[in-house]
Amino acid sequence: MLEIKNLHATVGGKEILKGIDLTVNAGEIHAIMGPNGSGKSTLSYLLSGRDGYDVTEGSVTYKGQDLLALSVDARAVAGVFLAFQYPIEIPGVTTMTFLKAALNAVRKARGEEELDAPRFLKKVREKAKPLNIADDMLKRALNVGFSGGEKKRAEILQMALLEPALAILDETDSGLDIDALKVVSDGVNALRSPDRAMIVITHYQRLLEYIVPDVVHVLSEGRIVRTGGKELAGELERTGYAEFAA
Amino acid sequence: MTDTARKFIETYERERTALPAADLGWLKAHRDAAMKAFAKAGLPHRRLEDWRYTDLARVLDKASLAPMPLHKGDVSVPDAQAAVRVFGGIDRHIVTIVNGQLRGDVSLPDGVSLLPLSDVLAQPWARALVETRVSKTQAADILALNTGLMRGGLGLHIAKGVKLDKPLHLIYLVADDGAVHLRNLIQLEEGAEATIYESFVGTGSYFTDHATSLSLAEDARLTQIRVQDEAPAAIHLATLSATLAARTYLSSFTLSLGSALSRGQTFVRFDGEGAEAHINGATALKGRQHGDQFCITDHAVPHCTSATLFRTVLDDASTGVFQGRVIVRPHAQKTDGRQMTNALLLSRDAAMNAKPELEIYADDVQCAHGSTIGELNSEALFYLRSRGIDEQTARQLLISAFLDEAFKTVPDEPAREGLRELAADWFRLTEKESA
Repeated sequence: MLEIKNLHATVGGKEILKGIDLTVNAGEIHAIMGPNGSGKSTLSYLLSGRDGYDVTEGSVTYKGQDLLALSVDARAVAGVFLAFQYPIEIPGVTTMTFLKAALNAVRKARGEEELDAPRFLKKVREKAKPLNIADDMLKRALNVGFSGGEKKRAEILQMALLEPALAILDETDSGLDIDALKVVSDGVNALRSPDRAMIVITHYQRLLEYIVPDVVHVLSEGRIVRTGGKELAGELERTGYAEFAA
Repeated sequence: MTDTARKFIETYERERTALPAADLGWLKAHRDAAMKAFAKAGLPHRRLEDWRYTDLARVLDKASLAPMPLHKGDVSVPDAQAAVRVFGGIDRHIVTIVNGQLRGDVSLPDGVSLLPLSDVLAQPWARALVETRVSKTQAADILALNTGLMRGGLGLHIAKGVKLDKPLHLIYLVADDGAVHLRNLIQLEEGAEATIYESFVGTGSYFTDHATSLSLAEDARLTQIRVQDEAPAAIHLATLSATLAARTYLSSFTLSLGSALSRGQTFVRFDGEGAEAHINGATALKGRQHGDQFCITDHAVPHCTSATLFRTVLDDASTGVFQGRVIVRPHAQKTDGRQMTNALLLSRDAAMNAKPELEIYADDVQCAHGSTIGELNSEALFYLRSRGIDEQTARQLLISAFLDEAFKTVPDEPAREGLRELAADWFRLTEKESA
């Protein structure tokens, strides 16, 4: 589904990614772990198409097409979803209005009919319930005044609604207490499917006890320095990232 | 003196015996004095602090306008015009004013009288309104021109305790080139209530000089919602002068979309305690349009509340202006005065000038003012787009959200929805043109 080859990228002229190779197949969950500043968030933003990241070498192929050639919204409607580490607050746009615009954009691109208000509402409520998201929260401006946990749950709700083929979860565990972590992880696990791939980016092993990956990569200094099974996460928890430091 | 100012004076010299109610002695003297003051001051220009960003004299000179002729032919209510359609779904009384002249009849409930300006000037309440000078500022001086040349417009009187059964919709249509000077005199007696919608539309090259003199007697309540969508070549000046007695409520909202150059002026003076005034608006401009909002709330007595919010969206090479002043007189304790202006620039060539001011001479008051000028938040755009929303829709969502803070101040819900839709249409059109 996703094939990254020798990816080099700079931010503000500074090289952050220094040759990433990564292949993710449908049905797999890959964890990318690494210390702060190793390039984890750069990789996730770059895949979602954010401005300010210049690819200097290498390629990213998604479902056989050049992902880097697509605009931000084209990537999203093609099925790439980034759950943000810090979701953006958007005053004046209610969560409901936003979800409807997003869902209908994605449905339209898939050749499905747009949902009318009652059918949309039904679908949102069905997906929101397991995430403990009440109607009241959906009527509020998007992410404005949401707690850390509410923001992350709202991200998972978006993912559940948009049903992406490739989901990238960027530090989804940051700022969550153990109960919230459980709710969010259950939400993610419910979306596991043979047709869907996920990349879970995290600093800590804790999240991976709830979302169990198939493959674990260690990112350091802009390169993947080690790849292993899920047991690698536990090993890192004991030894730390010191051995990978430059 | 500019050519246009001289032409206005000549028009007055030539037509003063033919102006409405020209036989009223007090009115004749009042008009003479007004035109004398106008001859002295001339048309406003940028060397005046209150007109620092809007050069009305220069723009009028370039337009070179004759007095507006009476429109002879039939004119139908322009339902298709967005500024009229915005109130379309609402049950309301409709009055059309073509080139300043009232057309047709409207059947209003007992206690509500609506007449052409010429028919009300003889009444004592109308005289009081004409003679009341709400504001003695450079900005208000231009009213002298309207006082001298006013020939169109209407008088609306609502008797004590009468509540207008449904909104009154005034549609101002200009059908010819020239200058039109309209004056509305509006008196709500004690406890009277009304909602007034106003739509400004037209075709061609013209100058609308519109002035409203408003008086709310004790406990009266008025909601006013205006949509200014004049012709692209039009010059629009609308001045609202209001005196508010004790415990009155005034809400005035202006959505400003049209004209080459427009200026809305609002002067509110509190004359009785416990009154509140909400003066708000939204402006969206493109091309080389220039839109100015000037607002003074004068707290002359204690215990009154004023709140002002103007939000402006500027595309292309358009220019926006906000000048506002909250005045709190020495005895006006417990005043609550708020004033805010926010502008969103969609283009590098757009410009906003904002000058909010507080003049406070009392010590036990709550006053705040603020101003922001910014562009669309790129992080927010990225976030929306990362969920599949295309760039144009994402921009529309953010612009609508920005203006919505202003629309939320409109107390009339059906009208608020209409305004939202009208603004959304504006963005769709604008984005399509620039795409």
